[in-house]
Amino acid sequence: MRARLALPLLLVILVAAILASLAFGELRLSVSQVVGALTGHGGDELARTVVRDFRLPRTLVGVAAGAALAASGVVMQAFFRNPLADPGLLGVSSGGALGAVAVLALGPALGLAAASIWTLPLASIVGAFIATGAVMMLAQRGAGTERLLLSGIALNALLGAGTSFLLTITAGHFEVNAQILFWLMGGLENRSWEHVWMGLPIILLGCALLLPLGRGLNLLSLGEQSAQSLGVDVRRLRRRLIVLATILTALATAIGGIIGFVGLLVPHVLRLAFGPDHRRLLPFSMLGGAAFLLICDLVTRLFPIGLRLGVVTAVVGGPFFLWLLRRPR
Amino acid sequence: MRRLWLLLLILVPLAAAPPRRVVSQAVGTDELLLALADPGQVAALSNLGRDARYSPVAGEAKAYPTLKDSDAESVLSFRPDLVLAASFTRPETLALLRRAGVRLVVLDRFDTLEDVYADLRILGRELGHPERAEALIAQCRARVAALARRLQGVHPVRVLAASIYPFTAGAGTTFQDLCDHAGALNVAAEAGLKGHQPTPTERLLTWNAEVLVADDEPAIRARLAELPSYRLLPAFRAGHLVLLPGPLMSCVSHHRIDAYEQLARALHPERFR
Amino acid sequence: MTSALQASALTVPGRLEDVDLDLGPGELVAVVGPNGAGKSTLFQALAGLLPTDGQILWNGQPLSSISFQERGRRLAWVGQEAIFDFAFSVRDVVAQGRYAWNDDPSGVTEALAAMDLLTLADRPVTRLSGGERHRVILARALATTAPLQLWDEPVAQLDVRHALEVHRLARHLAEAGGTVLVSLHDIRAAYRFDRVLVLDRSRLVGNGKPHEVLTADLIRTVFRVEATFVTSLVPELPAT
Repeated sequence: MRARLALPLLLVILVAAILASLAFGELRLSVSQVVGALTGHGGDELARTVVRDFRLPRTLVGVAAGAALAASGVVMQAFFRNPLADPGLLGVSSGGALGAVAVLALGPALGLAAASIWTLPLASIVGAFIATGAVMMLAQRGAGTERLLLSGIALNALLGAGTSFLLTITAGHFEVNAQILFWLMGGLENRSWEHVWMGLPIILLGCALLLPLGRGLNLLSLGEQSAQSLGVDVRRLRRRLIVLATILTALATAIGGIIGFVGLLVPHVLRLAFGPDHRRLLPFSMLGGAAFLLICDLVTRLFPIGLRLGVVTAVVGGPFFLWLLRRPR
Repeated sequence: MRRLWLLLLILVPLAAAPPRRVVSQAVGTDELLLALADPGQVAALSNLGRDARYSPVAGEAKAYPTLKDSDAESVLSFRPDLVLAASFTRPETLALLRRAGVRLVVLDRFDTLEDVYADLRILGRELGHPERAEALIAQCRARVAALARRLQGVHPVRVLAASIYPFTAGAGTTFQDLCDHAGALNVAAEAGLKGHQPTPTERLLTWNAEVLVADDEPAIRARLAELPSYRLLPAFRAGHLVLLPGPLMSCVSHHRIDAYEQLARALHPERFR
Repeated sequence: MTSALQASALTVPGRLEDVDLDLGPGELVAVVGPNGAGKSTLFQALAGLLPTDGQILWNGQPLSSISFQERGRRLAWVGQEAIFDFAFSVRDVVAQGRYAWNDDPSGVTEALAAMDLLTLADRPVTRLSGGERHRVILARALATTAPLQLWDEPVAQLDVRHALEVHRLARHLAEAGGTVLVSLHDIRAAYRFDRVLVLDRSRLVGNGKPHEVLTADLIRTVFRVEATFVTSLVPELPAT
C-alpha cells in the first residue's frame, strides 16, 4: 500500500535533489541561466562553465556514488542477515582508502601522483579489490558468513593501521597530509567529467545487474540453508552479490572518497518505511541513496564553513542511529 | 677583595659569553640563524633544513648537522645552550625543552618584514652579534626600497595563489605580503578572504585573476589542470602562470625579499630592463 | 516400488557414518535418537545442504544431477531454527515456498490455512511467538508442494493441538503419495509412524516398523532409559 507511493516519491525527491544541485552553489544563478546553460541556448559563458563543468559532473558523481553505496548496503545487510551491516564490512572501502592514501603519500617520492587524474581513483579501485580478495582468501572454503565477517573485521583493522601509518609519516608534509585527510573525509569537490566516466557507466551497469537478484535476496536474507532448499543456487548468488557489491563500493570510494553512513542508513530507513522485499528495496535504495548524497553535498555547498561530505553524512547518520537504537525492537 | 674582583672578571665574561651550541628547530629560524651566527655557534639546524623543498637555505645548510626530527630528545642530543623555536612548534616539545633547563627563544611573529626585523634584532642580541642584525636589516630595507622605487606607479597585476593544496591565501598571509611588495593585487583578499580558507570552486571564476602564482613543483601545471577550479580559469588556459621556488613562496624570513623580486620581475618585466 | 529417497554409505565426517536407507513413496517416517546422534545432519545431508561422501538418490536420480530449481520443487526441508532477521509478513514468507515455481501463488492460501495462520497472514514474522514461527516455516514447506518433505523437529515448540495437526498433515501427505521424514524427541509419538529410523552416535541402528525397532533393549541401549509399556493418556484430535 505505502510501497506503491514509494517509487514516485523517491523519483520526485531525486529529481528535486538533482535540480537543486545544479541550481545552487557558490554563485547565484537564475533558473533561466541554469536552463540556458544546460540546453545550450543563451545564458552567458560563466553560467555555462559553472553548470556544465562544475555542477553537472559533481551532481552525476553524487548520484553514482550514492546509488552505489546504498545498493551495496542492501546487499551487505541481506547477505549477513543483519540490518546494521554496511558496505565497508568486507574491507572494500578501507582497501580503497589505503590505495589512494598510498598514492598520495608515496606518490611524490615515486613520481606517481603527477601522472594523471586517473591515478588516484585507479589506485583506490586496485586497493579495494585487493582487500576483498584478501578477505575471501582469509575466509576460505566457500566463505561462510561468520568467517567472512571475521576476516573483514581483521582486514579493516589492518588496512586502517596502514592508512594511519601513512598519515603519520607524512605528518611533516603538510599539503600531502591535508590531501589525505580530505580524501578520507570524502567529498565531491573538483569532480570533473573524468570522474563521471570512471564511475557512472559501470555503477549503472552494476545496479542493473543487481536488480534481478532481489528475488533470491529475499530468501537468502532469511537463511542460507532454507534458501537453498527452496531452490536458490546459494553459492552462485553469494558470489554474484559479493562481486557486484565490491565493484559498486570500490567505484563509489574511488570517485567520492570515504563517505560513511549512506550504505547503512538509506537501506535501513527505506526498509523500515516500505518493507524488506528486496525486489523493491534495491531500486528504492538506489534512488534514495543518490538523493541523500546529493542533499548532504548541497548542505556542504550552501554552508561553506568547511564541512566535508563525510562529516555531514555522519552528523545526520549518527544521531539517527542513536534514535533507532532507542526504539523498542 | 682582590679575589672578588678576579672572580667577577672571570664570571662576567662567562655570563656574557655568546652561546656556542645553538640548535634551530624550524626552517624559519634556520634562515635567521645562518644569517647572523658564526659557523662555530651553530650546533644543528632543523630536520627540514637541508630539504630543498622547504628550505631557502638548503645549500648553505648542508655544512651543518641537522636534527633527526622535531622532538625534544633530538634537540637535547646536541646539548644546546640556546634553542630557537617558532610558534608553530609543538607545545609538548617546548615544555620538555623548558623543563630541561635549556635557554629557549620562541619567535612567534612572521607576518611582515617588520616582524622579521624584530626577530633579527632579538636573535642578534642572543647570539652576541647585534651589529650584524642591524647591518642585515639595513640591507633589507635598502633592497625593499629599491624595489619599491622600480615599481613606482605600476598598475598592480591581479593574481591568485594556486596550489593543489585545497586552500587559498587571502589577506594577512605571507602571500599577501608578497603581493604587496611585488606590485600585485591578491584577488582572494579583494573578494574578502582572510587568512587561509578552503578554496572556493565556482567563485574563483568571478575573481578575474590575470595571473596565477604557484609553487615550482614537478608537473605542477598538469596537476593544477586536474582541478576544474583552475583548469577552467581563463588565466590558466592562457598559460599565465608564474612559478616561484616553493621554499620562497612560504618563506617566513628575510629571504622573502628574493621572492618579492622574482615575482615583481615576472609581473612587470618592463621595469627591469 | 520405485524408491523415493535413497542413501548409500552416506557419510559426513564426524557427524554421520555410513548410513544406508531406502524409502518409498507414501511412507511416513520418524527419525529418533539422542541429542547429538546426527538427526539434523542426516536431514541436511539428504536435502543436499551439506557436502557428503556416499550417494544420495531422489526418485532414483543422483542428487548431484538435479538442478537447484528442481531440488526446490522436489524436496522441502524444514530446519530446527525459525529465526527471521527481517520483517517480512507471514504471507510473504510462506509464499517464498513458491520460489522454485517462479512465484506462482497457487497453494499459498491452503498452506496458510493448513497451519492455522490465516489470521496472522499479514503480521510481520518478527512479531511472532516461537511456536508461531515454526508453523510459518512448516507452511512454507507445504507451499512448495514437494513430494519429499524433511521436517527437523517440527513440533518441539508447538502446543498439543498444533502438534497433532502437524502429525495429521504429515499423514495426509504420505497418503497422497509423498514421503515425509519427521525427527522427534518424543519416542512415544513414533508409534504413529509407518517406519522408524533410530540414530545413535552417527550410525543408523534401527530401521523398521516402530514396535519391531523400539524394543526395551534398544531403548535402554540408545536412550539409556528404562521403558515400560503401559496404556496412558493419548490425546487425539476430534473426528472431523
